[in-house]
Amino acid sequence: MRRALNLFALLLLWEALAFLGLVNPLYAPPPHQVLLTLWDLFATGEVWPHLQATFTAALLGLFWGVFLGGALGLLAALSPFFSDLLEPIMLLLNAIPRVILAPLFVIWLGIGLASKVALSLVLVSVLMFFAVYGGVKEVDPRLLERVRTLGGGRYWLLKEVYLPSLTAWVLSSLKVAVGFAFTGAVVGEFVAASRGLGYLLSFAQSTYNARLSLALIALVVLFVLLLFYLFGRLEARLLRWRPQSPVKA
Amino acid sequence: MLEVLGLTLGYGAVPALEGVDLRVEAGEFVSLVGPSGSGKSTLLRAVAGLLSPWAGEIRRGFPPEALGFLFQEDALLPWRTARENVALGLRIRGMPKRKALEEAESWLKRLGLAGFGDRYPHQLSGGQRKRVALAQVLALRPRLLLMDEPFSSLDAILRTQITRDLLAQVEGEGIAVLLVTHDLEEALALSDRVYLLSKGPRARIAQVYSVPFPRPRDPVAVKADPRFGPLFRKLWQDLEGVSLCAAP
Repeated sequence: MRRALNLFALLLLWEALAFLGLVNPLYAPPPHQVLLTLWDLFATGEVWPHLQATFTAALLGLFWGVFLGGALGLLAALSPFFSDLLEPIMLLLNAIPRVILAPLFVIWLGIGLASKVALSLVLVSVLMFFAVYGGVKEVDPRLLERVRTLGGGRYWLLKEVYLPSLTAWVLSSLKVAVGFAFTGAVVGEFVAASRGLGYLLSFAQSTYNARLSLALIALVVLFVLLLFYLFGRLEARLLRWRPQSPVKA
Repeated sequence: MLEVLGLTLGYGAVPALEGVDLRVEAGEFVSLVGPSGSGKSTLLRAVAGLLSPWAGEIRRGFPPEALGFLFQEDALLPWRTARENVALGLRIRGMPKRKALEEAESWLKRLGLAGFGDRYPHQLSGGQRKRVALAQVLALRPRLLLMDEPFSSLDAILRTQITRDLLAQVEGEGIAVLLVTHDLEEALALSDRVYLLSKGPRARIAQVYSVPFPRPRDPVAVKADPRFGPLFRKLWQDLEGVSLCAAP
């Protein structure tokens, strides 16, 4: 709450500075103008196809990235063969700024949705791979022994021990993954696209339109916050077995 | 039921146990005591099949699934309720979920945890968690129960209460027990037979004691039996004896 108030105070200060003519509205348009621009975007319906494009790319990339990265991480953690195969690739992918792959994806997959989903997916899946791969190693060995002595084989170990204990790890990386997914989608659109928030942003840049830029940034921030909130709810629900979590959703 | 013949095994180059003979009859309560580091837990793990013998033989007169374990650290799944934890073993054995949960509930009741089925482990006390772990094992209806200091983390009162409930259950169900403990009083109060291991490495069975108290037995009342004191002193002296001198 206090943080929200602080943010609000900062915006007020900005507004006041602009009103007093102390900042150039061309570079730093006052908040109310940004809000009006945002309003216009929705009122004219201009923004919808762009929103849809970016969201589709980000959410598809997020979903498949979590799925693929998680599955590969599990595979690598449980089988030495796959860990030898995957770990070097993932370490390399983790070390490079993965957005440099964007032009390549455009060449391979065209300027449509697929190249954005691919970039988003690569960003997210490498993150998830290491979350799951590391998470498996943190699994309590006493729980494994317990399930084994009760007669449980691989299926039960996976279902009752590995997956639940990984859920906590995955959920905490999921918030970072949301940011990554949007980064992938928007950067992909920067590089080459005919739609999307990234495309609008690059249009705003080429027309020197700081107002539009800020409005679009605000839009992305709002949606990411919304997703954070939803994941927080999901976390609270999936991890209700935990002792009172110090972090409120 | 269980026969251990000339068992030798260990972890490094020197065997922890050498030529150990031990026997548990059906429905019998047997304790294993000895100085620390005498290989009590090693012996138990070998019986459990978690370690393989270097020499000697372990004859089990029962299928592997008739073996139950209760070890010192209670490892309940933190993301499952008490009832789900108890049901887990049953479900692994192929019982349908609903039936397993009903069965689990009845075992929680038998161990004095009626109404606690929906709690997660962190919402239970240490003693209650032990009872859940016990219910989890008993629900599988073992013929032989292996226990390694199962209640050593509990305070004296809780420990006495849970031990009494345990004894009532194993006597009622005719379950054989092999218990590793460092508590001589507990060993005498519960067992039909007590094995004393000598100091390790190369530990062997130094003494076997027959415990004469009748069953069903109250593990607290039995301490008032006139034969209890002398037997306890004998066991204590022998334990001190083997603790002082190293094995030949």
